[in-house]
Amino acid sequence: MNAITHHNAIVADRGASGAPPVLEVERISKHFGGFCALNDVSLSVPAGGLVGLIGPNGAGKSTLFSIITGFIAPSEGTIRLRGSPVDTLSPFARARAGMVRTFQVPREFSHLSVRENLMAAIPDQAGEHLFDLFFKPQQVRIQEEQGAALVEETVDFLKLKRIADLPAVKLSGGQKKLLELGRVLMTRPSVILLDEPFSGVNPVLIAEIIDRIIELNERGISFLVIEHDLEALTRLVGRLTVMDYGTVIAEGAPQAVLADARVRAAYLGGPA
Amino acid sequence: MDAYLAAIVSVMLIYVLLALGLTLQYGLTGLINFGMVGFFAIGAYTSALLALHGVPVVLSVAAAAVVAGISAWPIGLASLRLRDDYFAIVTLGFAEIVRLTLTSEKWLTNGVQGLSRIPPIYEGTGTAAAFVIVAILLAVTVAAIFLIHRVAHSPFGRIIAAIRDNEEAVQAIGKDPARFKIQVLVVGSALAGIAGALYAHYVTYIVPEQFVALATFYVWMAVIMGGVGRVSGAVVGTAILMFFLEGSRFLGDFLPWISSVQMASIRIGVVGLALVLFTIYRPQGLMGDFTKR
Amino acid sequence: MSYLVLVQNGIAQGLIIGLAALSITLVFGIARFPNAAAGDMLTFGGYAGLFAFSATHSLLATGLAAIAATALLSLLMYYAVFRRLAGRSAVSLLVASIGVAFMIRAVLGVSFGHGQLVYEIELTRPYIVGGVRVSPLDLKLALIAFVTLAAAFGVLYMTSIGRQMRAVADNSDLARVSGIRPQRVMASLWLLAGALTAIAGVMLGMKTIVAPEIGWEILLPAFAAAIFGGIGSPIGAVAAGLILGVAQELSTPLVGFTYKIAVSFAVMCAVLVFRPRGLFGKAEAVR
Repeated sequence: MNAITHHNAIVADRGASGAPPVLEVERISKHFGGFCALNDVSLSVPAGGLVGLIGPNGAGKSTLFSIITGFIAPSEGTIRLRGSPVDTLSPFARARAGMVRTFQVPREFSHLSVRENLMAAIPDQAGEHLFDLFFKPQQVRIQEEQGAALVEETVDFLKLKRIADLPAVKLSGGQKKLLELGRVLMTRPSVILLDEPFSGVNPVLIAEIIDRIIELNERGISFLVIEHDLEALTRLVGRLTVMDYGTVIAEGAPQAVLADARVRAAYLGGPA
Repeated sequence: MDAYLAAIVSVMLIYVLLALGLTLQYGLTGLINFGMVGFFAIGAYTSALLALHGVPVVLSVAAAAVVAGISAWPIGLASLRLRDDYFAIVTLGFAEIVRLTLTSEKWLTNGVQGLSRIPPIYEGTGTAAAFVIVAILLAVTVAAIFLIHRVAHSPFGRIIAAIRDNEEAVQAIGKDPARFKIQVLVVGSALAGIAGALYAHYVTYIVPEQFVALATFYVWMAVIMGGVGRVSGAVVGTAILMFFLEGSRFLGDFLPWISSVQMASIRIGVVGLALVLFTIYRPQGLMGDFTKR
Repeated sequence: MSYLVLVQNGIAQGLIIGLAALSITLVFGIARFPNAAAGDMLTFGGYAGLFAFSATHSLLATGLAAIAATALLSLLMYYAVFRRLAGRSAVSLLVASIGVAFMIRAVLGVSFGHGQLVYEIELTRPYIVGGVRVSPLDLKLALIAFVTLAAAFGVLYMTSIGRQMRAVADNSDLARVSGIRPQRVMASLWLLAGALTAIAGVMLGMKTIVAPEIGWEILLPAFAAAIFGGIGSPIGAVAAGLILGVAQELSTPLVGFTYKIAVSFAVMCAVLVFRPRGLFGKAEAVR
């Protein structure tokens, strides 16, 4: 599985095999006052898929992410996770249901260490309930030990060992991106939405992040990725969706999509 | 002199309890409770009224904690989804409404005349009794310090620290910030309620005028000076506050041309100046640089 | 008939609340924090006007003196405190504004004591309009309020600096890139905010008394009106101030005099829970 192109082919196959999509965005529109930020946007992420979402600044990608994950309410449309609508769920409930996101500007818990950031994301901890904290100290301690072991796995997986005890505020931009990825991994998600995972990250680290994402994808986690770095993104995803002015203008295999004249006009700035 | 020292230490311990409540709410979680004195007043009147009707002081203080905690619940439900500056205004208003109610509902609170002859924490007179009272207050305070310390260094404490840093990111990892914030609000307010109850039984006489917004900002001044987000800061800051409050009283004795009314104004002014200067020049407080704001 | 008297009092009270709320909503919208010093600025205006009135017995001179003194105080607050906190969280500025409020109250308390002072106004025979007694003073005060509001709206909507202020309130980033000089906008904002609270203070002093606490007690209804009207909406603040003023007065036969502030508080909480953008507030920000 070294050859990335090979990997893409497999993902594309998996997407086409008819398994139900893990995430479906159906006819989402969003108006802010008189301004239409999103107009009738639909897309889907197949189970085990790796889908890229591109488009010029202001095309509505991050707004769409916020709508999918429940941070912004859409004006119209439906979001389905593994076939069931999640429109009435709050952001934290959607995350608990297995759909998690990262943010364009990383939102680390700046005063917590890297390890604590990861610990905080482990679901269902007795120690997070005041009653259990004082009356079931044994259970709290056991869970903390188990949690610490899980965190060490993630620290090793993302190669964060050297900085694991630093407060997150001290990390570089790229390290914060990795930390956010680690944090959402701790929640045991089924689909991860990455908002510009490569922006402000040096090329060595980008290669690293790509490898990690592919490895996670092989373990069965699906991804929807917003990214401006087309070169990196095409190494990663099996399908591309292109947005402009709040609508989807193209969709399909990366090579085909990028060859599309409309996409070149909208995204690459002119009919080159 | 011993009695005087005991009196100062007693009042200080009561303020430490309030400062610990605010440390939990503001320092650790980032909740801007500008209505601390409202919960303090609810605790004071609850415990005083029960004790005046024959309930043992131990039980009436416990009831004060419960009532103050429960009264924080609807405030939390109604306003925790608000931005923190709006939340601050709501809590400020809540405390004002509490004071209006204490003034108006004469059938219950005896209005501006207040409640007198409240049973003391410990029956007895003289220095020995004063020291027993100090010991009781100290025991409660130490228990509260243990409680806050345990919460701060626990998985619960990790999440509230995360909420303080970035609430949306907490939602993004599948935790409900509102649940944690309501619990923090209730526990901190219950602590303020206990402080109010102990205050009522300590001074044995309470009137609504003792529960003005200024008292809230005494506590804020203590927490901001001591160091936001640190249990030790709550204690140190309160010590400075007491030094200032008592010092201004001594100063009034030595400077006879300053009337007591003017001294009260000067005290308000110094609190104001401290809030302004610390916000501008040392937002992290004296005890170090933990939260950096 | 007694209800008409209550409505009349409510309008007077509402104009005071509305002026203070306008000051608060402008600062909230443009400097982006709830200015808890607005109440004590109002008190300061009440005192400044009192001394001018004792000296001149002219309403015009009183108003102008109060405006000048309070606008200067306001500008001083900006340069000494709030400008140094630019870029910090709204909460830092809020805490600092409470500190400033206490300092103003302390200076007034030390200088003039805690006693109640009154404007020495000669009693005049009320006009009877349709069976309702209307005092000439009330009419003059209402006139002053309307002139002040007209001037404020004139500044906001008909001058270049006013347009810049509203542009900053709408979108501070956009305003910055379009070449608006923030220092000038902020200085103008604080002058205007001070002038508005000054007139509110003079009106409150003339209607009731002057004492160090009067402004703090109007702060909660003024915050309520600013939120009810929609933060950043000048018209909303004034309209909500009038509504709350009348509602507070009309509630007194039902809930008693002391609870009238609770009416404002209840309205504020209800607005925050059910319609956070208030009467005239903008829809949520774009992205």
